[in-house]
Amino acid sequence: MSTTSIRSWRAVLSDPDRYGAALADRNRALNAFLEIDAKRRPAASPAGAGEAAGAGEAAGPGEAAGPGEAAVPIAVKDNIAVRGYQLTCASRMLENFVCPYDATIVSRLIAAGYQPVGKTNLDEFGMGSSTDNSAGGPTSNPWDTDRVAGGSSGGSAAAVAAGMVPVALGTDTGGSVRQPAAFCGVYGLKPTYGALSRYGLVAYASSLEVAGILADSVDLISDVYTAAAGIDAMDQTSTWTASPPSSETRTVAFLSGDLGLDQRTTAGYARMRDAVASRGYAHTDVELSTSDYAVPAYYTIATAEASANLARFNGVRYGERPLYAENPESLVRAARSAGFGSEVKLRILLGTYVLRSGFQEQYYQRAQKIRTAIRNEFDSLFATYDLLVLPVFPTAAFRHGADELDAFQQKVADKFTTLANLAALPALSIPTGVFDGLPVGIQVMGPPHSEARLIEFARVIATELPFERPPGYEPLSTLPPSGSEVA
Amino acid sequence: MSYRSFVGLEIHIQLATRTKVFCGCRARFGEEPNTNICPVCAGYPGALPALNEEAMRLGYVVARALNCDLSPACEFERKNYFYPDLPKNYQISQFTRPLGTDGFIDLEFRRNKRRVKIRECHLEEDAGKMIHAGDQSLLDYNRAGTPLLEIVTDPDLEIGEEAEVLLQEFRRLVRYLGVCDGNMEEGSLRCDANVSVNLEGQGLGTKVEIKNMNSFRFVRKALNYEIDRQRDIIERGGTIVQETRLWNENRDVSESMRVKESSNDYRYFPEPDMPPFVATPEFLTSVDDLIVELPIARTARFISDYRLTDAQASFLCEERQIADYFEHAVRLGASPAAAAVWLMGDVQKLLNRSGTRLSDSPLTPDRFAQLLTLLDAGRIHGKIAKQTLEAVFDDDSDPQEIIVARSWEQITDPAAIDAIVEDVLRSNPQAVAQLRAGDARPKGFLVGRIMQATNGRAEPRLVQDILARKLDVQFVQVLSFGGAISGRRRDDGVIVAGELSQLIEQVVRDASLPADIRYEAVELGRFLSEEVTPNDWAGLIGAVDAHLSVGDAAGIVVTTGTDTLAYTAALLHWLFGGADVPIVLTASAMTGDAPESTHNFKEAVRIAMSGGAGGGAAVDSPGAVSVVFDRVAYPALNLKFERIPARAASTDAPSVVTPAAATPAAATPPAFRTWNPDAVRDAAGRSLYELQSLTVDAIAERLEAAVTKSFIAKVFPGMQASSLTALIDSGTRFFVLELYDSGTANVGETPFGLRRALEYGRRAGALFLCTSQQEGNVDFSPYITSHELWREGAVPMGPLTTESVYGLLLAVLLTSDSWDPEAVSQAMERAQ
Repeated sequence: MSTTSIRSWRAVLSDPDRYGAALADRNRALNAFLEIDAKRRPAASPAGAGEAAGAGEAAGPGEAAGPGEAAVPIAVKDNIAVRGYQLTCASRMLENFVCPYDATIVSRLIAAGYQPVGKTNLDEFGMGSSTDNSAGGPTSNPWDTDRVAGGSSGGSAAAVAAGMVPVALGTDTGGSVRQPAAFCGVYGLKPTYGALSRYGLVAYASSLEVAGILADSVDLISDVYTAAAGIDAMDQTSTWTASPPSSETRTVAFLSGDLGLDQRTTAGYARMRDAVASRGYAHTDVELSTSDYAVPAYYTIATAEASANLARFNGVRYGERPLYAENPESLVRAARSAGFGSEVKLRILLGTYVLRSGFQEQYYQRAQKIRTAIRNEFDSLFATYDLLVLPVFPTAAFRHGADELDAFQQKVADKFTTLANLAALPALSIPTGVFDGLPVGIQVMGPPHSEARLIEFARVIATELPFERPPGYEPLSTLPPSGSEVA
Repeated sequence: MSYRSFVGLEIHIQLATRTKVFCGCRARFGEEPNTNICPVCAGYPGALPALNEEAMRLGYVVARALNCDLSPACEFERKNYFYPDLPKNYQISQFTRPLGTDGFIDLEFRRNKRRVKIRECHLEEDAGKMIHAGDQSLLDYNRAGTPLLEIVTDPDLEIGEEAEVLLQEFRRLVRYLGVCDGNMEEGSLRCDANVSVNLEGQGLGTKVEIKNMNSFRFVRKALNYEIDRQRDIIERGGTIVQETRLWNENRDVSESMRVKESSNDYRYFPEPDMPPFVATPEFLTSVDDLIVELPIARTARFISDYRLTDAQASFLCEERQIADYFEHAVRLGASPAAAAVWLMGDVQKLLNRSGTRLSDSPLTPDRFAQLLTLLDAGRIHGKIAKQTLEAVFDDDSDPQEIIVARSWEQITDPAAIDAIVEDVLRSNPQAVAQLRAGDARPKGFLVGRIMQATNGRAEPRLVQDILARKLDVQFVQVLSFGGAISGRRRDDGVIVAGELSQLIEQVVRDASLPADIRYEAVELGRFLSEEVTPNDWAGLIGAVDAHLSVGDAAGIVVTTGTDTLAYTAALLHWLFGGADVPIVLTASAMTGDAPESTHNFKEAVRIAMSGGAGGGAAVDSPGAVSVVFDRVAYPALNLKFERIPARAASTDAPSVVTPAAATPAAATPPAFRTWNPDAVRDAAGRSLYELQSLTVDAIAERLEAAVTKSFIAKVFPGMQASSLTALIDSGTRFFVLELYDSGTANVGETPFGLRRALEYGRRAGALFLCTSQQEGNVDFSPYITSHELWREGAVPMGPLTTESVYGLLLAVLLTSDSWDPEAVSQAMERAQ
């Protein structure tokens, strides 16, 4: 992103009251934010910030914010810890929870000159593809408010698409950054598993999820990623490599076969293919023998881990709790009954079921075997090709409610996104343009730690596929100078 | 019916790391509630665990010390269950790949050696604590996240006592390693158990878990309670319910907590928040660096390097700090033997009295070594040494300063004493002449003069030595302790008690004994052997102790009666076996005027005056005490009549022969026989009585109380348990039980079986010390009946005879502060 536009975003924060009011105003139609607070500038917490051992210099956004200079606004999904802000995970369970600490990536970004301005909406605890499953109400798509923003990072995607912030943090467990990015027409990076510390991400499925970045430019994706990445002593699954794969791309594979795409997505996929061809990349069609197994394996592992991860929400130390309970057991029962939404309960029950003793072989361990097979297939794929291009979701943004896609169909449709989570690989959703009024995003995947390659490819392809904004949503950084009327 | 019980333990120890296992909070509790917590250990949303490598290292150290296979890589799993004190509602633990597997720990309990298999050791996190206050439940998470190591044994144990011994051994191990303070009351060491009982030969039964056993004692009681409970159910034809029970320490019963049906499915699965831990070569080296010399190895080294007894070495090695202290003092010049005796005896007493630990006491290793060096150099004598020790504790100053300040230092310069003795002898020519002529009586007068001349500060042993040397004589102390040998024959031929003088007169001029021997005689009582009382024994013990501490004799001869000789000899052996002066008991079936008696007495004198440390050298005895009877010399232990000595005396007395020489082919077999002679030779020559300094009245009082509570019972076909229970009801607490052959008895449930009596006794705190009626070595190994006896708490006494055991029992009761059955049993075991 050009230095000029970053300057103008900084300028926005020089008058936080006005910016906050503008955010609130724009939020009315979209419900992208669950909490807006542009005034507070949390001090960079030392924990985590200094731990980026070997991760290289944390790069600022274009240029570092000097003393007294305002920072660049960033929206943070409401399942990532920011000290002093709420951390509801869009659940009644944590309705009144104020977070006492910063996630490692948050403290690193604050240190690098970004400022959280609010917490964005999501499907409760990240469980969903629509942001309809939120205790804070659904988020609407700025391209068509009858439609969903996607999920679970729907609030972050809508906020970026609607020009409320240039960049937002999300989390991606099975496609939760890439799918809403695609639905809203913004860039969405799901990094390699472990490349961004998970410390401070409210866990849904620990072995699958990673923090992700949604932005209106490839440069900002790159800057934020570079500033946040690196080993974190607070997250022993965090990873970093001194010798990442080359950022250069020569050969591109396209997932082919009967992909079951709707018309818009078919068109978007074709446009990506044309762009790749016109930029002169060698490209080949490939099929994945394991892809059909991705969704069942994903839901088995994700729900199993969720059943344990969400056990800590028992109303004892924080969060929803009844006024009175006869004994600890009934307190826990009452808190969880009232605090969790039905999709969360469904997934906890599923996870508990697949982990029962005597049934693990049949479910959980089988899913792990599938996961290994998927990893192996990608290993051999990336031994031959530099990148794999594939759809993000079979459809463009669907309508609110269950009329177009019910909850089950939504899960089945995770077949393209869950692959990267199961294989722990980086993937970037790239907007390919607007088709019949709705944007379509196509994702590109690479080998572990090939984020630079994905970003470089996106930069090149952006010359063929320019970024578009929904009508009527000029970025707030272009607001008229202060003093003029704000509607 | 015969039953078997199976007990396995799950032991948890909190590892002594600075910080918690998965976060940087201090691993300290007992502080203000919820102060040592953070988002990680309090289970806040988004927080992640990060393994503390130090906890892993200490876990590997314990696993290595328990002889486990160390896992080259290990993983963590989540153990899922809801409980308010568990912040995440899952516990991070190890399930499929624990850090150590397949180890063992060796135990010995009442001569039953056992290798208990360690199934695994795994690392996990502790939970917080829930406290119920009125109608509220309060939670403190300071403890949450403390590293816990769980050690799981196979069900290789049988009874509560064994489990207690295992826990004690284990605690000693972890304390040695410095990985845990092993405090059960405060919960840094915790123990759960699984118990099953089944008919013999049918394998494991239905497992019941026992929890809430908060001390070693409760572990023993709870397990024995559970074994009895299950056996009763099986006997009544019931079935055992698989369940978890809690020990109620107030009511001494266990209570059901939950039955299996409602128990948890923990749904273990791999912890996704942490990668597997890989034990690199560097890590394993750091584990090796933390392994110290372990108690068993150190005990063995103390025995071989410092020539200590088993008991001394085990006492010193019980705690690493004490063993270190001992070695420190030895490096500073203390004699190992003396250091051991003092640490076990007087030092321990003072520590108990002041309630301090050795390492915190005013008695530094330096001061301790100084004290022993002063004693060894004769600059103070034993009693002063004790006073000096007390003064060190009271004044916190050096022994050297204390003895100077209080003028306690003895005159130990031989030249100075020599001059004084010379002076006294010159001014008392008549006494000297009398002594030279063969009369020992003026010696006391001369010693008195010498002490007077030095204000009582001359070192008494040195005075005795110099005096004897200057007069060219040596003194034997003859203690007349009843019996026919000192008696006389009445006109009607009946033997009555008498005095010893005529016997001494007969040997004084005997050419076969060295002419320089002077006899000092003390009459302790006129009675026949069978008339001996605790009071008489008290007098004997007091006299022997007095002579040993003054050092006024090169040897001690005790003339006594025949019928109780085996008891008296054993008692003296256990009390004074470690003396540096021979103590020889002799007796005769005839009166003192008979050639038989003269001969025995002469031989006793010869052995007593043979020089060297103890008569052991002379008679192959394990200690200083030995016996001469009917021309044969014996060790003091395990004497039994082989034949009743003939009353007719043979005038031509052959020379004394040893038992080995007295083959059955000899014309007259020896009157006594040493039972299990090989084992007796190996018995320790120790002095339980050393440094006790009780008054004769106090000894008598204790012995009387001891014999009142003791009983010797011989098992016979048809013997009824009720006979023993009646004795228990009337206050008997210490039984010497003479069993058949190698230690069997009817242990059935019938009125003619002893089990009810043993059970009854166990509850009442009675001790059953088992010996054999025949020549058996009682270790309870060969038969199921004897194993049952062991399980019911009877203590096998190995190769010792009833008389030896009784002597040992009295010796232990006389010298122990605690008469608790377990303490007495352990003291008896240690003394052997």
